[in-house]
Amino acid sequence: MTVGLVIVSHSARLAEGVAELAGQMAHGKVAIAVAGGASEGGLGTSVEKILAALRQVDGPEGILVLLDLGSAVMATEMAVEVFVQASPHAVLISPAPLVEGAVIAAVEASVGNSLPEVAEAAASAYTLPKINSRS
Amino acid sequence: MPVVETSLVITNTVGLHLRPAGLLVQTAAQFQSKIVVQFGGKTANAKSIMGVMKLEVTVGSTILLRAEGEDAEQAIAALTDLARRNFDEEE
Repeated sequence: MTVGLVIVSHSARLAEGVAELAGQMAHGKVAIAVAGGASEGGLGTSVEKILAALRQVDGPEGILVLLDLGSAVMATEMAVEVFVQASPHAVLISPAPLVEGAVIAAVEASVGNSLPEVAEAAASAYTLPKINSRS
Repeated sequence: MPVVETSLVITNTVGLHLRPAGLLVQTAAQFQSKIVVQFGGKTANAKSIMGVMKLEVTVGSTILLRAEGEDAEQAIAALTDLARRNFDEEE
C-alpha cells in the first residue's frame, strides 16, 4: 500500500487529465481518485464527489488531497470531516499547485514514502524550475 | 560498507526531466543503499524527486552517481542500465 491521492478540481476534465499525468508517473503503484465538477455536472466542486473519492483510495498509509483552486478548500474540508468519522486513516490537504503537486506526490508515493513525506514534497513542488535556469 | 561510484552521460532527448527523473528515483528507491546524484556542483538524494529535479540536468550532461551500502553495486548497475536505455524514452 502507498499513500493515496485525490485530485479535486472545479472541472471534471481537468481532474481526469491531472490524474492521467500523475498516474503515468506512478506506473500503477498509487491509488488516484478524482473529484471533478459540481454534483449536477458543470463547473464547481461537490462534497459528495470528494467524499466518494476519499473512500475510493482509503488505506492505512493515508491520503493526500490536491486542489485546483482555493475555492475548493471548503468543500474538501467538509468531505474530510465526514470521511474521518468513519476512517481511522489520516488525510492531508495540500497547498501545492495542482499539476506539479500531483506528479511529484505520485512519484513520492510510488516509492513507498509516508504521508508527511509525500505532502512535504508536493508542498515544495512550486519551486520546481519550469524553465531551465541555465538556458 | 561498499561505496560504488560511476559517471553517466544523460543522452535522452529532454535531459533529466520529470518522467526520466521519476524513473531514476523509483529505481534508486528499490535499494537500501544511500544514493546521491551530483551535477553542477550540487548533490541530491537520488530517492527524492524534488532533489533530482532541482539539479536541472540537461541532455548531454554528465552526472556522478554514488551509492553507499550493501547493495551499492546492484544499485549503480540498475541506474546505469536505466540511463543506457535512455530512460525507456521512445525515439
